[in-house]
Amino acid sequence: MTSPKLLPYGDNAILVHWEVSGFDTDVSEAVHRLAANLRVKGEFVEVMPGYDSVVASFDAANLPYASAKRRVEKALRKNSGESGKDEGRLVDIPVHYGGEYGPDLEALADALGLTPDTVIEKHIARTYRVCMMGFIPGFTFLSEADPALHHPRHATPRPHVPGGSVGIANWQTGIYGLDSPGGWQIIGRTDIKLFDKDRESPFYVAAGDRVRFVPA
Amino acid sequence: MTILTILNGGTQTTVQDAGRPGHRHLGIPSSGAADRLSFAIANHLVGNDWNAPALECALGGLHIRFERDTIIALSGAEMWAQVQGLNVDTNRAIAVEKGDILTLSYARDGCRAYIAVAGGFSADAFLGSVSTYLPAGLGGIDGRALKAGDKLTLAREPSGIMRSLPIGYAPRLSSHVVLRARSGPEFQLLDAASRRYLFTTPFIATPQTDRMGSRLRGDRIVTEKPLNMTSGPLLPGTLQCPPDGQPILALADGHCTGGYARGLHVIQADQWLLGQIAPGAKVSFRRSFEDDAPAILATRNAMWAQVIPGFRF
Repeated sequence: MTSPKLLPYGDNAILVHWEVSGFDTDVSEAVHRLAANLRVKGEFVEVMPGYDSVVASFDAANLPYASAKRRVEKALRKNSGESGKDEGRLVDIPVHYGGEYGPDLEALADALGLTPDTVIEKHIARTYRVCMMGFIPGFTFLSEADPALHHPRHATPRPHVPGGSVGIANWQTGIYGLDSPGGWQIIGRTDIKLFDKDRESPFYVAAGDRVRFVPA
Repeated sequence: MTILTILNGGTQTTVQDAGRPGHRHLGIPSSGAADRLSFAIANHLVGNDWNAPALECALGGLHIRFERDTIIALSGAEMWAQVQGLNVDTNRAIAVEKGDILTLSYARDGCRAYIAVAGGFSADAFLGSVSTYLPAGLGGIDGRALKAGDKLTLAREPSGIMRSLPIGYAPRLSSHVVLRARSGPEFQLLDAASRRYLFTTPFIATPQTDRMGSRLRGDRIVTEKPLNMTSGPLLPGTLQCPPDGQPILALADGHCTGGYARGLHVIQADQWLLGQIAPGAKVSFRRSFEDDAPAILATRNAMWAQVIPGFRF
């Protein structure tokens, strides 16, 4: 695995970026170990893991950039020495595939030269890592889908994708947390609310968790 | 007990406090007052803690009837405010009586006015903050913008304190917002002309300007080569540069992740000004360097801490 680059992100954040193309399991593991490590002491305001990067923001009046950088370098050294993996929780997500819930399933299967059932089989065969949350509450960015399922986004996004929709965008798969516009290839939908402000724990999954899809 | 009734919510009025930082990894933006300084000033003038819940009115049109005698203060954008038809100043506490009607016309300079009431407002809390975040319906009154008929209640008993700002402290707002910024992580991937334009020519904030962000129009800002970026974390104050060349400045409610080049990042000491960019305003960026940003922040923090205890940019 390549070692990451540390870059200033304005005056109140630092970006740690691993140069990879597509999805890299080792990098993703390192991202989440680093994020967990940076959270321990609470010096950072936001610690945000991505697929191949971590952004940590801080109060520049408390923590000069040079100190933040040293803190990250120390955490990275600790990371590389760590043998155990942080596995996160394993969460099953029931999904209604196809039909009104997955309006793109058939066209996607055609485009990929597969049957809809094979698309579903391949989609449920993997255990995915929750790599990143956002852009809106509950949107769940998951690790790489089976290479046979990789397909670009719609050229023109749909104005309305219902919350719970499960989709594919290039090599990524993910779940829409709330109703929103979106361009992902929608193959199914879960009844589970990934984000529910009124639930005792509003977030159904967190970055670092593992997710399995099961046909509903 | 009801302190005021909304007669007209105006363009967009929400309850805001200092926000809920620390949850962006869950997809929850910090939200909070888009102009943190003006918000803190309004609270301080009526004797509240600087971060007490207050009203944020974008662009104007807000009409309020007070249901009790109380003390209020306006700060931020000047909106030709009147109580019972008489002009009222911003940045000074004023006494209002039961039945008085406050009207805010339109934003003359800047974009958002803050209305603090002695005692602060009570509203729905989520993750320790009552800040309204419209896309997910969080905080405020049912997670939405205020509308006619809404009644707000006080969080605490008023202190009775009335203050005005010391001379020279009132922030000057303008329809030309100048922001000091440092390079974002992908600044070097922009082409040479774009790197120069960013700091030389003003942009215009388009009507696509709200609490999430401001889409700017101006010289095309593009990357040297097409970028096929994997989506990654995004912070408020970041200028994202999509392939169509028209950059987007992220605000307090901005998305937690993005997939475009992060060209610039507004320095911490100037981020309060992001909340004062009205549609149609000019927006310019000035380059800030590694050494001056901490000094600017330390000076600004020290200056305001003398006036507003506990306040930090």
